[in-house]
Amino acid sequence: MAEAFLVAKDLHKSFNHIKAVDGVSFTIDKGEIFGLLGPNGAGKTTTIRMLSTVLEPDSGDVTIGGYSVRRDADAVRSIIGVCPQELALYEELSAIDNLVFFGRMAGLSGREAREQAMSHLKLLGLVERAKGRVDKFSGGMKRRVNLAISLMGHPQLLFLDEPTVGIDPQSRNNIYETIEGLRDKGMTILYTTHYMEEADRLCKRVAIVDGGQIITMDTPRNLRSQIGPPEQVTLEDVFLHLTGRSLRD
Amino acid sequence: MIRVDIVRPLLIALLQVRIYLRDKAELAFSLLLPIAIFALSYGAFGELQFRGTAYVVNEDQGGAYSTEFVDRLDEVDGVKVDLLSMVKADSKLDRADLLMVLYIPEGFSDKLAAGEPAQLVFKQRGNGGDEGQIVASIVRGVASEMAQEFQVRSQVGEALAGSDIEQSVIDITVEELLDRERGNPTVTVEEDIVGGDTDPVYEFLPGIVTMFVLFAITLTARVLVEERKKGTLERLLTTRLSVGQIFLGKFLVNLSRGFIQTLILLGLAYAVFQMFTPLSFIESLVLAVIFIAAVSSLGLIIGSIARTEDQATWIAVFVTMVMVMLGGTFFEIPESGVLHILSKVSVNTYANDAFKTIIAEGGSLADVGLQMGVLAGVAVVGLYLGRSLFRIMPGGR
Repeated sequence: MAEAFLVAKDLHKSFNHIKAVDGVSFTIDKGEIFGLLGPNGAGKTTTIRMLSTVLEPDSGDVTIGGYSVRRDADAVRSIIGVCPQELALYEELSAIDNLVFFGRMAGLSGREAREQAMSHLKLLGLVERAKGRVDKFSGGMKRRVNLAISLMGHPQLLFLDEPTVGIDPQSRNNIYETIEGLRDKGMTILYTTHYMEEADRLCKRVAIVDGGQIITMDTPRNLRSQIGPPEQVTLEDVFLHLTGRSLRD
Repeated sequence: MIRVDIVRPLLIALLQVRIYLRDKAELAFSLLLPIAIFALSYGAFGELQFRGTAYVVNEDQGGAYSTEFVDRLDEVDGVKVDLLSMVKADSKLDRADLLMVLYIPEGFSDKLAAGEPAQLVFKQRGNGGDEGQIVASIVRGVASEMAQEFQVRSQVGEALAGSDIEQSVIDITVEELLDRERGNPTVTVEEDIVGGDTDPVYEFLPGIVTMFVLFAITLTARVLVEERKKGTLERLLTTRLSVGQIFLGKFLVNLSRGFIQTLILLGLAYAVFQMFTPLSFIESLVLAVIFIAAVSSLGLIIGSIARTEDQATWIAVFVTMVMVMLGGTFFEIPESGVLHILSKVSVNTYANDAFKTIIAEGGSLADVGLQMGVLAGVAVVGLYLGRSLFRIMPGGR
């Protein structure tokens, strides 16, 4: 049986008495890509923010690599990397300056940070623009810089919150290949996306969240087979079947 | 033992400085601002010596004494003589273009030559204005000096009348004696300034410096909110950085930026107004650093509670205005009463007092221990409070 690297138990979080996350529990095995899917406002980002120690849960707990986010938040932060949904970088600076800075904040020495920065920029096809100012980059390049930053410090668990939003197919494919490569090297990844084919391709298991609760959790194939022949049904069909077709703006 | 990792706060400060240096517009504005403020101060206070114009109508055309009078008036430092015709002068007085005109009547020199009293006439609107009154006072001084010399000449002439000494020899000797008296007067007036210089610039510069430093409240408050908006603050919160280190980094960058700006402002004041000794300049800079630290801490408190850049700006502007008003920058705070008590909550009060003591009264840092203690206390408490508020506000930790 695979070793659970992340264990979330009965997580709850409310804002102004509105339940954003309502009893979420799941595990992610070491080396697994786990998908967290759900419509807008379902509670995905709040869940990630609790898992990554930014928000404290109202109740429940999470252990990552054996460390509790409540009691050992510093230890948790030393083994995670976060690629937020919004671009979170200093656009006035170059790509390599961004990576080196966040690498130093992750505890790397100057030399280690520079070496890792060049390695990650190479991985994401940005090495030739390493010294270019990020505000001159295309949307796809910025997304790749955003991802590269989260790899600084070689985290054991990576949170990817919609890392491919609004980018061209080439950049998206580059990101897919990077994520698959990271998985092959044993990195554990929690992935959220609105693109169902993306989750189908990358994730070993997915959980569909709605109203702050996990409404189903299984492999993409098993989920597809719940509503029809898995070869003919898409994950999007399953998603719409479970969460409904009403708009969630 | 508590070990403080100062490297990462310094890296945060360095990053912010690099961003600051790459934004050419912000860099230019922030460095030009102290120069602009200084230039305005110089425009207001730089010309401390009186400069005025004596508008003169000389009806005694060709008269020796009227010509001598006008020449002497023109030689007075700071006074320029503008000769006008009677018609033009009257017209300008009617239109209130001028407030005071000196008329030298026809026959002025002839009367004096004949030993008769002669009069100068001032025509003025109202009290003649501040400049007119000063010019009138100078005119009276020149007239009085000429009258005394005239008396000396006539009395010597009368005393030596009938002697064998030639009149030309008497005239030359008297002129030589009068010249000697003018060059080396028997009675002189010296200025002995007690308790510092009373020039307005010495009174106002402390207020200008403290008000300028207070701008840092807005800048500091916005830095945190901008990081929050960009998403980089949340990203930093998922690294091994503690919130305290983030705060320290932001605090350091504002401290250094405020210091550079104040250095420019005080440096210009030193160079142009020569209002410091090397020691008082250094003491002023030390004081400025402590004040900037206090102000930066207040900015971090605002940054911790503000959700948007607009909120941060407006709260900071409000706090700045209250501090400036209560700090005695624009008007003197009475020694007692409600305003006096309220003024104690303004960091400007302590900073103004301390700067005035050092800049205007010739005091030293030893004389402003209380003020420095209060400002340093505000800096420490502000940092702690900002950190605590950040913990309890939504999105904080």
